[in-house]
Parts: sequence; structure tokens; C-alpha cells
Amino acid sequence: MTALSFRLTAKPEQRLDLSPLTPSKLAGKSAGDIEALPIGTTREPVTVGDMFKVKGNDAGKIRLIGTDGRCDRIGQGLAQGEIVVDGDAGAYLGAAMRGGTLVVNGSAGPFAGGGMAGGSIDIAGSAGERAAGVIVGETFGMRGGRLAIGGKAGPMLGERMRRGLVIVAGGAGDYAGARMIAGTILLKGRVGRFAGYGLRRGSLILSKEPEHLLPTFGDCGLLDFNWLRVLDGYLKEIGARVKVKARARRLMGDMAVLGKGEMLILA
Amino acid sequence: MSKLKLKGVEIVETFAEAFPMVGTRVIITAPTLEWALTAARTMTGFATSVIACGAEAGIERTLKPNETLDGRPGVAVLLFAMETGKLQKQLLNRVGQCVLTSAGSACFAGLDGEKKLKLGSSLRFFGDGWQMSKVIGGRRFWRVPVMDGEFVCEDKTGLTKKAVGGGNLLVLGRSYAAVLAACTRAVKAMDAVPDVITPFPGGIVRSGSKVGSKYKGQIASTNDAYCPTLKAAVKTELPLEVEAVMEIVIDGLTADSIAKAMRAGIHAICAKGAVEGITHITAGNYGGNLGPHHFHLKEIIA
Repeated sequence: MTALSFRLTAKPEQRLDLSPLTPSKLAGKSAGDIEALPIGTTREPVTVGDMFKVKGNDAGKIRLIGTDGRCDRIGQGLAQGEIVVDGDAGAYLGAAMRGGTLVVNGSAGPFAGGGMAGGSIDIAGSAGERAAGVIVGETFGMRGGRLAIGGKAGPMLGERMRRGLVIVAGGAGDYAGARMIAGTILLKGRVGRFAGYGLRRGSLILSKEPEHLLPTFGDCGLLDFNWLRVLDGYLKEIGARVKVKARARRLMGDMAVLGKGEMLILA
Repeated sequence: MSKLKLKGVEIVETFAEAFPMVGTRVIITAPTLEWALTAARTMTGFATSVIACGAEAGIERTLKPNETLDGRPGVAVLLFAMETGKLQKQLLNRVGQCVLTSAGSACFAGLDGEKKLKLGSSLRFFGDGWQMSKVIGGRRFWRVPVMDGEFVCEDKTGLTKKAVGGGNLLVLGRSYAAVLAACTRAVKAMDAVPDVITPFPGGIVRSGSKVGSKYKGQIASTNDAYCPTLKAAVKTELPLEVEAVMEIVIDGLTADSIAKAMRAGIHAICAKGAVEGITHITAGNYGGNLGPHHFHLKEIIA
């Protein structure tokens, strides 16, 4: 059994919907069946066979090779197995995912990990706006699992997130952790304006103080947090590139709403 | 029939009769091992026997910083009771009063298991609304604000219904000092065995009991058959030269772990041979009809 691989043969002329390419949807399908799957998003019909060279037979392990930013919905609703993307991903990468692992060697578009509930996504490059945020038609953002972004995250990172862990190594745009209900975002690097806007509960762990700090966050001073030690142990366990130490300055907010959230600025 | 002897110490052909219990393990950490031990000793205090303490508890072992979830020194504590409801109550009372209150402490689950006991999920209410839940790697932790920072406590811990309580050894000797020294060695040897505790003070009980009494309402009373001062008055089990008897009681998460601990204990007791003054090693039972677990000394040392 070798991994089922899909190599993009030409630059797509329209956005592609790759949500059919998940282990559970491909299990038991023949090569012919797979090549006939429609992946187009316009009136011009496009099938898997039109765009990809398909090889291998293990649907539990899927490889997407040479993809670009027009390849949307990779691993959307993924429940088990693994997908490795050797290239970039478009919008809705791993959106509403429930389990399994998704690895992207390039960058991802908007809504990466939007509304995901379980499993893990690793993006080596950057992610577009609303990563771990609310996908269209939903009322909540990420509900569980883990999203790691090696580069920068766009604006509205983790909007209305309820649970789960987001790790960003290269900073984020405006409104990081906006309207968060709970969960944890660990953000290294520079963060844009309005970080923690409308934060109800949940933790926004920052490596440095935002340049524009909302006035509705109150200072609790520099303290030791034992749970950050537990978090650091977990980061080591999963081989994350970022570390945290126990000491941090705690800012509570957003006092304009519930105010039981926190911004922990690592010492 | 020749008598079974180990380095001149007679191993009486009998068995220890033990009972099913429910058990759990929690891990207590603190800024220093000394403080983790303080919390653990406090939590396992007054937990020698379920007869009046509600639970039997003890320190299983200490943990190095690289063995704990928060990278701080820790202590593994085992807690046993006769039924799940009682174990749950004892666990919450003991962690709530003795660990939550101890400086710098944190408390984590120490046992997997399909069945769970509430830990932080109840203790969090001490936070009066300011507690925060954190799910890390699929495990839920509660952060309860306290005066020295935060008490981090895992939501639940595992429970086993396969625990066994009341494994025991009775050590008889010609000299009081020899019995005490041999039993101290045995407890030390048992400490190295995983999954077991010896809940009595220093691991030794000098007031072994029998069921019932001549007094109404006294459910357990002195084991007169093993009291050296009563040899002439009761149906004694002791030869005339025996000066003292001490008992080591063992609780374990599995029957197998108790057998291992008893084996380690017997070898430690006999290490210095009969010349030290130990004459017999025997075990307590009720004829075999009460407890389902029988640990035959002969089989254990085989």
C-alpha cells in the first residue's frame, strides 16, 4: 500500500473544491471513480482526472503535490487519516475538521481550521484571514483540536473560538483572538491592532506586548503560571517549535464584555 | 513434613486473605519535592484503615521533574476505599483540604481508566466564578485562583475496581528490636514495588485486630492470639520465646502488585537470617471465606 497521491498537472483556471479528497470519502473507490469526481466550482465542469495525476492506493494517507492557492477546501470535514500537502492551500483548509492530521508545506488561504473541532493542522508557511475563525454560516470558531502556523496569521485569528489550541510562530494581523469565548492562542512575533477585542474568556499568550493595547484590558502584574509549564510540556511532546516559560504579565479583559479572558505577555 | 524455612526463619504455611477495593492515584507537584511531600503527607494522614478513616492512602513514590506534567518535583499518592462513592468523597475532601491548601501545589490524574473520579471538576467551585478551564492535549485542567497564584488541578482522575486491600505479613521474633528492624527493612523494600502502599504508620501496624469484641459496638478488637503478654490466657499462636509481633498491611492497584510487595518484604525480613531474632513469618486470614484473594506465602516465595 502506498499513499494515494494527487499531483497537480496544470495551473487551475478556476477555484477547485477539493473537499471530496479525504480518506473517508475516498475509501473503497477505484482509480477511475476517483478521477471522475467533480471538483469544479463554476459552470465549466472539472474532474480530479482533469487536474491531477493520481497514483497509489492507500486512501488513509493522501498526498497533494504541487497545489496552489486556488485549491480550496483541502481536508474540509476531515475525520481521520492524514493529508499531506506539498504546496499551498486555498481557502477553508481543514475547515470543520473533526480528527486526523493535515500537514501543509506551503501557505494557506482564509478560514484555515475555521470551525474545526478536532485533529491537528500544521501549516509551515502563513495563513490568511480568519484562521481558526468562524466559517460562513456558523456562529462559532474553532471548537477543539490544534492549529499550528509556522509563519504569519492574517486578521481575525481565532474569532469566536471556543476551545482548542492555536500556535502561531510569525505574528498576526489585526483583531487576533477577537470575540473569543474560550481556548488558547499562543502567538509569537508582532501582533496587529485590537488584539483580544471582545475577548470573553480564553487565553491569548503573546511573546511581546502589542503596540496598540486595547484600553479595556486591566493589568494583574507579572506572575508565575503553572499551567504554562503544562502547556510547555505539551508543546515539547508534539514537537512544536515554540516554547513558553511560566512567568508572564497578566492582562484581564476585554472589560467591555465579560472580561474573564486574559492576555498573557511572556516575560 | 519438614517446615518451610528461609535463612532459618520459618515461613508458616498459610495465606493472607485480601479484599477487593476501589483505588485511584493522583500526582501532586510543588515548587520543591519537600513541599510536594508536605501536601502528600497531609493528604494521606489519618488514612490507615477504612474501619474509621474512610480511606486507606499512602505515598507510592516520588517523581522527578521530567516525570510530571508541569516539570516540577512530584509525589504519586494512592487512595483506596471499599466503594466508589466513598472513594470519591474521600478524594475530594482530602485534595480539597490538604492539597489545594498547600503552598504552590498542583494536582494531576495518576491513573487512566474507563471510570473516572471527579477532581478539579468539583474543586473548581472554590474559584467562585474566576476559575478557568484549559484543555491541553485532550486533558482538561482547572486553574483556580488562590492567594499564591493559581491551583492547577486536572478535571478527573481514573479509578480501578481491581484494587486489592489487606495483603499482609505477620512477623514474629524473639527480640522486639529485631522485629522492628526487620519490618522497617521490609517496608523499605516494598516502597520500591510499583502500585502499592503500606498505609499504617511507617508501614507497620503493631495493633493487629480481629473481627468483633466482647463489647457491643466495638467492631474490631485486639488480636489476642498474637499478643505476647496473653500467651498463657488465650488460645495463643505464639511460641513462648516470641517477644513481639508486627504486621505489615499492603494495599495495591492489582493483586499481582501485592504479591510482588509481599515477596520483596519476606526476603527483606529474612535478609539477616534467624540469628537476628526473627522466628516466623505468617499472615492473617479469616479462614478463606471472606476475601476472594488468597496470597499463599509458600507460593509467593517460590
